[in-house]
Amino acid sequence: MTHEAVSSPASPTAAAPVGGDRPLIELRGINKLFGHVQALQRVDFCVYPAEVIGLVGDNGAGKSTLIKIISGAYQPDGGTILVDGVPVTFSGPADAMKAGIATVYQNLALVDQRDVAANIFLGREPTRGLVLDRKRMLAESVEVLQQLRSDIPSVETPVGILSGGQRQAVAIARAVHQAAARLVIMDEPVAALGIEESRKVLRLIKQLKASGRAVIVISHNLEHVFSVADRIVVLRRGRVVGVRQRDGATASEIVHLIVGAEHL
Amino acid sequence: MDNDTQAQTAPREADVDAILDELDERGSVELRTRMGPGGVRGSLQALLRMREISVLGATILLFVALSFATPLFPQLENILLVARQISILAVIATGVTFLFISGEIDLSIGSTYGFLGIVLASLIAKLGLDPWLAMLITIAAGAAIGFVNGTVTTRVGIPSFIVTLGTLSILRGGALLLSGGWPVMIKLARDDAFLNVTSGHVAGLVPTQVFWMIAVMVIGGFVLSKTRFGAHVYATGGNQEAAILSGIDTRRVKTINFMITGALCGVAAAMLLGQHRNAFPLTGTGYELDIIAAVVIGGTPLFGGAGSILGTFLGAAVLGMITNGLVLLGASAYFEPVAKGSIIVAAILVDTLIRRRRR
Repeated sequence: MTHEAVSSPASPTAAAPVGGDRPLIELRGINKLFGHVQALQRVDFCVYPAEVIGLVGDNGAGKSTLIKIISGAYQPDGGTILVDGVPVTFSGPADAMKAGIATVYQNLALVDQRDVAANIFLGREPTRGLVLDRKRMLAESVEVLQQLRSDIPSVETPVGILSGGQRQAVAIARAVHQAAARLVIMDEPVAALGIEESRKVLRLIKQLKASGRAVIVISHNLEHVFSVADRIVVLRRGRVVGVRQRDGATASEIVHLIVGAEHL
Repeated sequence: MDNDTQAQTAPREADVDAILDELDERGSVELRTRMGPGGVRGSLQALLRMREISVLGATILLFVALSFATPLFPQLENILLVARQISILAVIATGVTFLFISGEIDLSIGSTYGFLGIVLASLIAKLGLDPWLAMLITIAAGAAIGFVNGTVTTRVGIPSFIVTLGTLSILRGGALLLSGGWPVMIKLARDDAFLNVTSGHVAGLVPTQVFWMIAVMVIGGFVLSKTRFGAHVYATGGNQEAAILSGIDTRRVKTINFMITGALCGVAAAMLLGQHRNAFPLTGTGYELDIIAAVVIGGTPLFGGAGSILGTFLGAAVLGMITNGLVLLGASAYFEPVAKGSIIVAAILVDTLIRRRRR
């Protein structure tokens, strides 16, 4: 599987920044092995402040592995991660969070038995002295959900009884709420949503960008990707096979990169 | 993938707002069918709370029924007796509630409790230590046992059911080896402060063990429902992956819960030694089942994520009232395990029915 991707390496010239001159986060030569499976192979990747990246690729191309490395859930077997130009090691999601990287996982990572507010503050619950600051949790949860124009009846509702779209909204609200979040990663954020809620999420991505935050969106829906992404990164069998500016790229070009030329 | 349709739906130089507005228009039809009625969710929420209410209801019902069945039951002295009888169980069950909510189990509690009793009595009787110092050492030893259980479970990855089945056996053997199979007697004056505080009476009436139980449960309930650590305990048992991804160190949370449980076994051992002034190597044999029963009857599921200390208190109260009521009614002692077992099955049945209706 090493022969095809080499012929179309990621072109650095196609990867000009849209905001800022130094990448917020940069990956250099990232490798990741699962047993004998090379999930990622010498992946170079960077995100600039206030930039929206569309990360696309077929199933098993390594998209989820890549974002799990950026969010600290996986540790790479080789290569370097730089935040603000400084090499870092994420030994867990907590490290990535401290660096301002928040992630919305495809399975949403919600605790069904707990209420909306507890899920939005999961792992970073505010306290007054020893006691949880529930008042602040409730107020800020309402605020962030209102930004999303979510129809969740109450932030004290257990997440387990919400609809799929509402659960997605809670997961996104959690990522957005992380005040220090400079990069929000979304894995198929609209896959389970109705059109109305998808639209809200796409608008939200634009709002995140407007507030200076960078966003990485994984999506199978090229329409969505073209509507929000500044740059499109194509993964194929664990390699970056193309990086394109949204303006100037065509959907067919992206599809070619995703499936590989031999299939067309 | 069909190349032509992709090219159509993803135009070049896409104007984001135009696409979003287009999605808006197309979405308007589907929108109405996708939105579910909100009323159903309200009643589901009520069902979630039903478990706590059902435990409270069962407790009150049992109390009223026993009061009618035997006039001795609702007497203050009898109620205080029941309270004292459940206090040691409730102290250990508080720790077990933490463990269950975080999704782990400890089968070694009965042995830990018995072993620590021997340790405490030996420290006082054989080494001549001050009883308070000995009690502190014993509680620390309990936490250390919990640390071992928790570390082997979370770091090595052996299920806690197996790990603590091992420590159950090891510690029972330890209690027998340490004591040579004989009771260890402590020789303290009858009015010694240690005896009075661990198992005396306040105002000649209320057993101090009841205050130990209240103190442990109030602190436990506070930690679980009001603190950050408590929130992490629920998150760990509710969805461990989500907790880890949110930066919660679930292995640490679980290990701390094992340590709390072990330490509370130490407290319970002191409460019992104060009462008997003797430690028996077989104390606590089979006790884990009563303790786990109290937690489960109280509405804490075996697989974690939910539960409360109040529920555990009510579960312990139900067990205590059954034992006491059967004695007062003159029923055969052989009937007691049958009654307890039936209550446990009934409690699980209620849980299962609630969960099934939620789907």
